[in-house]
Amino acid sequence: MRKTKHWLAGTGLVLLCGGSWFYLAAQEPVKDAETDLVFNTDHSQCTLFGSDRDEFYEESVNRQARRQYRFSKATVEAVSHLARPTSAGKTEASVFDRLEQLSFIDQFLFKAMQSAGITPAEKTNDYEFIRRVTFDLTGRPPKHDRIVAFVENNASDKRAKLIDDLLNTPEWADKWAMFLGDQFKNVDDNGQVRRFAEGRNAFYRYIRTSLAANKPYDKMVTEMITATGTNNWEQGEMNWNLGGMMTGGPVQDNYDFQGEIVAERLLGMGHQNCILCHNGRGHMEALSVWGKSATRAQSWGLSAFFAKSVSRRTYPDPINRNVWYSSFEDAPRNADYSLNTTTGNRTPRSPVGSTRVITPEYPFGDGGKPRAGENYREALARIVVADPQFARASVNYIWKQFFTRGIVEPANLFDPGRMDPNNPPPAPWTIQPTNPDLLNALAADFQKSGFSFRDLMRKICNSEAYQLSSAYSGNWQPQYETYFARHLVRRLWAEEVVDGIVQISNSPLRYTYNVSTLPVPGGSTTTTVNWAMQLPQTRTLPGGAMAQFLDSFLRGNRVDAERKAEGAIPQVLNLLNDNFVMDRTRSAVNAGVPTLTRQLLDKYATSDNAGLVRELFVTVLNRPPTSEEAMISTGLLGGAVSPQLRQQRLEDLVWSLYNKVDFVFNY
Amino acid sequence: MRNEKKFLKSFLRNPHSTQPFFERPYLSRRAFFQAGTGVAGMFLAGRPALGQDVVKRGGAATNGKAKNVVFILLAGAPSHVDTFDFKEGPDTPLALTKPETIGGIRFPVGLMPKLATNIPDLAIVRSIQPWALQHQLCQTWVQIGRSPAGVLGDVAPNIGTIVAIEKEAERKAGQVFPTFLCLNSDGAIGSGFLSADFAPFKITAPANTAASGLPDTTNVDGQTRFDAKWNLLMSLDKPLRNANPYSREMQDYDNFYQNGRGLMFNTQVNNAFRLTATDAARYGGTSFGNSCLTAANVLAAQGGTRYVQITIGGWDNHQNIYANNVLPANLKTVDDGLSALIADLKKSGLFNETLIVMMGEFGRTPGRLTATAGRDHYAQQFAVFAGAGIRGGRTIGSTDGQGMETVDSGWSRQRNIRMEDVEATIYSAMGIDWGTVRYDDPFKRGFYYVPEPRSDGDAYAPIEELWKA
Repeated sequence: MRKTKHWLAGTGLVLLCGGSWFYLAAQEPVKDAETDLVFNTDHSQCTLFGSDRDEFYEESVNRQARRQYRFSKATVEAVSHLARPTSAGKTEASVFDRLEQLSFIDQFLFKAMQSAGITPAEKTNDYEFIRRVTFDLTGRPPKHDRIVAFVENNASDKRAKLIDDLLNTPEWADKWAMFLGDQFKNVDDNGQVRRFAEGRNAFYRYIRTSLAANKPYDKMVTEMITATGTNNWEQGEMNWNLGGMMTGGPVQDNYDFQGEIVAERLLGMGHQNCILCHNGRGHMEALSVWGKSATRAQSWGLSAFFAKSVSRRTYPDPINRNVWYSSFEDAPRNADYSLNTTTGNRTPRSPVGSTRVITPEYPFGDGGKPRAGENYREALARIVVADPQFARASVNYIWKQFFTRGIVEPANLFDPGRMDPNNPPPAPWTIQPTNPDLLNALAADFQKSGFSFRDLMRKICNSEAYQLSSAYSGNWQPQYETYFARHLVRRLWAEEVVDGIVQISNSPLRYTYNVSTLPVPGGSTTTTVNWAMQLPQTRTLPGGAMAQFLDSFLRGNRVDAERKAEGAIPQVLNLLNDNFVMDRTRSAVNAGVPTLTRQLLDKYATSDNAGLVRELFVTVLNRPPTSEEAMISTGLLGGAVSPQLRQQRLEDLVWSLYNKVDFVFNY
Repeated sequence: MRNEKKFLKSFLRNPHSTQPFFERPYLSRRAFFQAGTGVAGMFLAGRPALGQDVVKRGGAATNGKAKNVVFILLAGAPSHVDTFDFKEGPDTPLALTKPETIGGIRFPVGLMPKLATNIPDLAIVRSIQPWALQHQLCQTWVQIGRSPAGVLGDVAPNIGTIVAIEKEAERKAGQVFPTFLCLNSDGAIGSGFLSADFAPFKITAPANTAASGLPDTTNVDGQTRFDAKWNLLMSLDKPLRNANPYSREMQDYDNFYQNGRGLMFNTQVNNAFRLTATDAARYGGTSFGNSCLTAANVLAAQGGTRYVQITIGGWDNHQNIYANNVLPANLKTVDDGLSALIADLKKSGLFNETLIVMMGEFGRTPGRLTATAGRDHYAQQFAVFAGAGIRGGRTIGSTDGQGMETVDSGWSRQRNIRMEDVEATIYSAMGIDWGTVRYDDPFKRGFYYVPEPRSDGDAYAPIEELWKA
């Protein structure tokens, strides 16, 4: 018997939400009284059980639109006999019945859902899952053959194995180097401090090498805070402290900002920036329970850890005073943090009572000061990595990358006064983490695992909560979001869109950026990489049209523009019309490598447009076409009267897939 | 549902899933953003625990004389004593600068002959001082109207974004032009913490007239094939653009497609962005000139654009400032472009409702040139205002004989004018309550359209003297 979908295409009938029905081998047809549609109740030759079943089941049962169109009774009955699709082909017990067998992440989340009477979404099917986790972990889409093998594999641990594989790819290090570059705001020139290309690249190399080697995050942060040396162009980690330098003010402005970036980017305590200018009282009552009684003097205690450090410039070319590298060294003879400023970027600093000088004292958690004779920055690093807030903020920043929202939001504005459910803040304040037990358990686990990013991500991706679908068949309420009862979609990063299109189309690109600000006699001042995710900063690189394309997807610039997931008209105009996209729809052979379009045309004769369409969809959208999509696509190709027209229509089809909303979103 | 049988039958004949508007009960995108959900617009968490209005008006007095703004950023900090606060110094080349006193204003006619004839249109403010002297910091300062190192400075939106968000309600049906347009300003500050809906639409106007039209609004395959592709896309993607089971965000992405499509193959858009050789020549045939021409055309098209930012660099003249290809060449570019812009705005009747503001980020050392025959950074600068009913042909404020220091501030607040005051002036002219505070910033602390004064300072205010006799 011919495959069902061909048959359906042939008669123009589509299996869709509302009006779905199955025509089977003719045996005692039954006419439905409500709709006058004709049904056959003999299932013996139904081809719906098989690899198509998942697809049909998803469409007919799980689509939200189903609720708008009531099925005929016969359809509902038929569909209710279909088992829930799982890779093992077995019916899955409800997650609430299996709580004790789940990971700690899942236990905390599903118990909370159960208490609140919230039904979670269903599990992702294999297509949804492999696409989502591959993009989330590596910033690339999965390749066609990998997808097919994954879906057809029946091993019960295949998802766990996939996660392990992805965690160990070089692309994983590329993506998370981009993430940490954003987090640490690694940039050549931010208006206050200039690292130059050399310093920025050294910092990028430090970050990426540390990730690839699975360096524990507490070790990384210690190295960054305590970095000491003469040349930030050579010692990458020195560029962290340099990022805290300020111009147009006294040295205390430097110390303040160097402390602030520790507070915000490492500890999630962005309100430190407010308290550096004024006490919390009279300013923060509506913003933070902790903040409203925090004082400037406390905040200066953090800045003071930087008072015995100094940075100086060296000009490698004595004639050119516009290019320099920087040192960052201990200056034990510096004064401690003095309260004697009237100018600069902050409000005046005056003595507090009889206190004219502030010595280092950590303002968060259990406090902490340098031990007798201890180097200030070594003391700070020691105290920071031991503070549970460091682990909490870190796991929350990472959680947000996988779940689209943190357990604490905003992720850089933790309120220590609202953390502990055993010590809740006064009404109307609420506990800030939406699941405080989960947050603390994740933080404790992160510490125990040696602050390993890979380990944390492995646990996150293996959780059933992460593997929930973003489709939700029940009645979704916005407040369910904080329970993570479904997966929240995110628009792909700029780099993921661009690298995705390049990988899918087999049509590479090269990006050039500076490695040397001064001329290199007999050498090159630039280097080249093949993937946008490998660029060492998001501002201005790589120049030209591709910088404009990437910027339109709001990758931010690490200075005054954050990375955003919003839509905008320029993005869409780029996807519709930009040469970068148009070139990657074409049938061509570039340096011996055929593009996707060319490969498909060569591989599939006109008699097998269905096979072509299926491979096309799996390659570009990482899933097979719905029956409607297949019908439209095969119809389009099938109607081409010449090879030229067939090629043109395939190019148009490829273009359409790049412009589908399920391409540019990770769901 | 009425007539379900009939509906189902017609549905089977037209097998595309549809969702009638009455079955889509959800907040529109606009409502989402107004509810303060901000970026990603999805979750209601993160709002202040205590209730607060998102936009709190200050009741500031505005003069509302302008419908549009053209903001010209002279990036690199032009020398004030060689331009709009002209002072003959020991090194000033008189044969090149040919200074004359026109209506009491000393002006380098040799460097800007056309603008010399426009002096009756210009109000030149000479008592402005910057707060800092570093390029990137101060260029940002000028565009966001506050210190980038100050509170919310690193997420502050461009002044044009505030204008765009305030004028959103005035957009008419069928208008497709972006409210906030950036020409020749690829590095312009964006929308900061506010929605990308109000970010500048950036276009680099080409230096030659061969290319024309808004970039990426035509498809290399031509309109016929594009329309066929568009229909194919919409038929394939309709289920996800109408009843998306995964998220509203994915579904709403379609709005950008519809808006983008509206800009494509659009005669009005094309005419506004196309440059003819004659027009370009009138404006000087430079990127800056082409940007001014585009601004004139776009505003005349009345397609929804209200704020245009144009940037011209090349003012950082630490060396050889009077060499022909340095300051004189740059001033010729401005002279050609700005004078033509004023002429065209007058012709289209828009000059009296368009506020033109032109300034750099600070000034340059007056008096003798440096050892490299240039001028270095200096904390005294000018701003040129025109249009929107401003009384032209005069200066506000004045500096000493060499241009070193303000001697008369020229306005009621009797202190140096700052960028924050210029910002207040722009909002006042556009009828925007410049005392507004918005509470949808990331800290929920309150974002002041015009910043609060410094601890030792006077409140900032619009320079209403510009409109007074």
